[in-house]
Amino acid sequence: MAAERPGKRYHAERGNEERGNEEGGNEERTADMLPLTDTVTPADQAELAATVCEAFATDTPLYPLGGRTALDFGVVPKRPGLGVSLAGLTRVVDYPYHDMTITVESGITMAELSAVLAREGQRLPIDAGQAEQATLGGLLATNFSGPRRYGHGTVRDYVIGISAVDGRGVAFKGGGRVVKNVAGYDFCKLLTGSLGTLAIISQVTLKVKPLPGATAWLTCELPNFSRAESLLAAMVDSKTTPVAIELVSGAHWQGTDRTPMLIVDRRTLGVLLVGFEGTESEVDWQIEQLRSEWRAQGASVFGHHVDDAARQLGSRLTQFGSSPAPLVLKINVRPSAVISIMELLLNIDPNASLASHAGNGVVIAAFSEFSLADASKTLIQRLQPAAVAAGGNVVVWSCACGELTRQAVWGAGRGDAEMMRAVKRQFDPKGLLNPDRFVYGTL
Amino acid sequence: MLAPTLPSLVDQFRRLLGADGVLSAHGELMVYECDGFTIEKSSPDVAVFPRNTGDVQAIVKLANEHGVPFLPRGAGTSLAGGCLPVGGGVMIVLTRMKQILEINLRDRYAVVQPGVVNVWLTQALKGTGYHYAPDPSSQGACTIGGNVATNSGGPHTLKYGVTVNHVLGIEAVMADGSLVEFGGPAEDNPGLDLTGVMVGGEGTLAIVTKVWVRLTRDPQGVRTMLGIFESCDDATTAISEIISAGIIPAALEMMDQGILEAVEQAFHFGFPLDAQAILLIEVDGLEAGLDFQRDQIVAICRNRGAREVRQAKDAKERLLLWKSRKQAFGAVGRLSPSYCTQDGVVPRTRLPHILRRITEIGAKHGIRTVNVFHAGDGNIHPILLFDERDEEQVRRVLVASGEILDECIACGGSVTGEHGIGVEKIGFMHKLFTVDDLDVMVRLRQAFNPHGNLSPGKMLPTAGACGLEQTRPGRRAAL
Repeated sequence: MAAERPGKRYHAERGNEERGNEEGGNEERTADMLPLTDTVTPADQAELAATVCEAFATDTPLYPLGGRTALDFGVVPKRPGLGVSLAGLTRVVDYPYHDMTITVESGITMAELSAVLAREGQRLPIDAGQAEQATLGGLLATNFSGPRRYGHGTVRDYVIGISAVDGRGVAFKGGGRVVKNVAGYDFCKLLTGSLGTLAIISQVTLKVKPLPGATAWLTCELPNFSRAESLLAAMVDSKTTPVAIELVSGAHWQGTDRTPMLIVDRRTLGVLLVGFEGTESEVDWQIEQLRSEWRAQGASVFGHHVDDAARQLGSRLTQFGSSPAPLVLKINVRPSAVISIMELLLNIDPNASLASHAGNGVVIAAFSEFSLADASKTLIQRLQPAAVAAGGNVVVWSCACGELTRQAVWGAGRGDAEMMRAVKRQFDPKGLLNPDRFVYGTL
Repeated sequence: MLAPTLPSLVDQFRRLLGADGVLSAHGELMVYECDGFTIEKSSPDVAVFPRNTGDVQAIVKLANEHGVPFLPRGAGTSLAGGCLPVGGGVMIVLTRMKQILEINLRDRYAVVQPGVVNVWLTQALKGTGYHYAPDPSSQGACTIGGNVATNSGGPHTLKYGVTVNHVLGIEAVMADGSLVEFGGPAEDNPGLDLTGVMVGGEGTLAIVTKVWVRLTRDPQGVRTMLGIFESCDDATTAISEIISAGIIPAALEMMDQGILEAVEQAFHFGFPLDAQAILLIEVDGLEAGLDFQRDQIVAICRNRGAREVRQAKDAKERLLLWKSRKQAFGAVGRLSPSYCTQDGVVPRTRLPHILRRITEIGAKHGIRTVNVFHAGDGNIHPILLFDERDEEQVRRVLVASGEILDECIACGGSVTGEHGIGVEKIGFMHKLFTVDDLDVMVRLRQAFNPHGNLSPGKMLPTAGACGLEQTRPGRRAAL
């Protein structure tokens, strides 16, 4: 069993507004999470390929670095290697805004990307936590998503072209610059969510959407889980078309002095939040419509958040899970199983805080207290079987209580594991890209 | 090559599937010697009809034992030779695996066998408030398994996406006969998105035996309009302006004068024969937003000199407006005995340019062209009219097709928006992708299909077989 690491792993820096541009703190945190001998920052795509080529020739492990907001995601790697920062690849390569596509280098931050798009009244409708630091490449590599995945899909649905460097240092591309394209294999899908283990993404072409005119949330406090399930089930037939259906529970969501009051009634078990986007008349109509649908089902305590309050709420929901906690998990199941999974989680730790993209079956749990041994046992013996029975699995987002095994971090094994290894061997024959961190096991 | 071992293999297939599950006589196999891409023909050595996943596994294992290549086929509607049995082999026809296994509205998914015809699923969902969104024009015949293989699109992709955006998971028989489940009813399974890679794999990575698909909420309302324009430029500019206004139409289809004339003569919709272009525009969604979008669209069309903008008042009128588009290919028979359609893509703003170039290229080769296509996403379908009994015309058609696709590439587009590479466009792969790109694709295929016995000769040029000009009908060997 791995020795317990000191609590250094989740500095208060992570998710901390005061972090700012403290490069020293940034590097220190990186060094704490990854076994880096050095870090290089290629100035362009050619230099990136050359870097990987040389690593291939010298059998040097490589750790791609974006905004460094998810360095502790995955199994803790041990092999010392070179950090490869994408901070030098931040260009907007092409932005034919009338075509509603944009091509950018992967090191661009999500905030910068949003700003570029907003100038033309456009956006990538993907929620990004810590947008000032998080890079597009990192978001792709982790397949991060937030509440609006219900209505807009995940980033995988927006990548139409991709350029990357594989584990041999070979630069390649897939897709193209147009929204309809089936020529060749879909590297866009393959690399999204691959945690930088097949190739280092250097450039991405995205399709984008117009900015919405209005945004609002309607919230409803829930006295118990069975009420939650009946309201969720009723959303299937709602006349509204939300962009988000969220269910949250736990101490994190109690109102504080600094954040909007979410929970009014002390008997509340959780809150159902439904988000809308569109023109003002579309949003207004949907708010009224959902109010009347909920009233017809006997629900009564409502909150209505618009404009800035709506944006803040979306941001809080997106950021949940990146705040410090001993153990943060993500469980993916059929949407109808969300409630039973949440009940199980609260049964394990009544002080846990939970958030879920309930319409998508994704539940995120931040536990209040866990020892390493307990965490491992709970994952493997209780949560994984429950998630698998509900059609999905469970992964660890971060664990401050020590180093978990691959079996604990990446969920129950599935029949496609061998195929994943076969693909990995083709793209990274020497196993140099982010070694040990991802699902593969022995290659 | 196969002669000694083939009778024994066919016997074993008959024992597995029954006599009516196997076709081996030359006459019986003629139907399977090509798909919608009729220029190339090659007969399989035997066609087999599995009833279930176990049958597919057994077939693959038997084929492997005998060293015979194999490939899957759905309804055979591929327009790129996706079902062409290059080198013969065993054709595994999946049309008998045609059950909808599960519909789960609470969790918004359905599970289907690969032989389920696309439109059957939406029909089965009628009245539930949900439908299956990817609806290629051939949806009355094509199968969902085939849709998965080609990542099919259709007229609604600008707003609703393509097949890969609606597939949650795939159960597949691999090239070695093993069975693997990728993805499933839940989103976000850990690891690589191999489901996403297999959609569009054109049958070269695995044989799909089950699909989990996402269901889409029916829109509350719809507004359908048909604009009649004095020029293609006016119509394509109107398209750009509609989208720049922040409207994402559910469908945006364009037809030019040539096809319009054929449609009018065949079906008498009352279209003026001198109109240069027609735009069929549909917006859907919440009633609360539709009138505003419709009004904006009508204003834009009028601003661009539209002679008339017809609006459907009810479901019956809507179907009538759509009929003019859906019957377009059926009307082509009035214009010439044969036709060949292409599937290029350009950035939407390059539509005026590509339409001009199509006319020029047609004129240069003495081939008449007409156009009907998905204008919203730049996916063109130029129709080249000819008589296939005249070899000289056929040659010119192939050259003209190639030049049109070259022009699409020059515009920053693609040579295939939805039909796939198949065999038809293998020669274009080196124009779209570098040697390194293709090498990485070969490596990916290697992971799934290491011996190349599944769907040989598809999609990827093999080393050295690139850059050969197609000077006569028939595919260059990619062996």
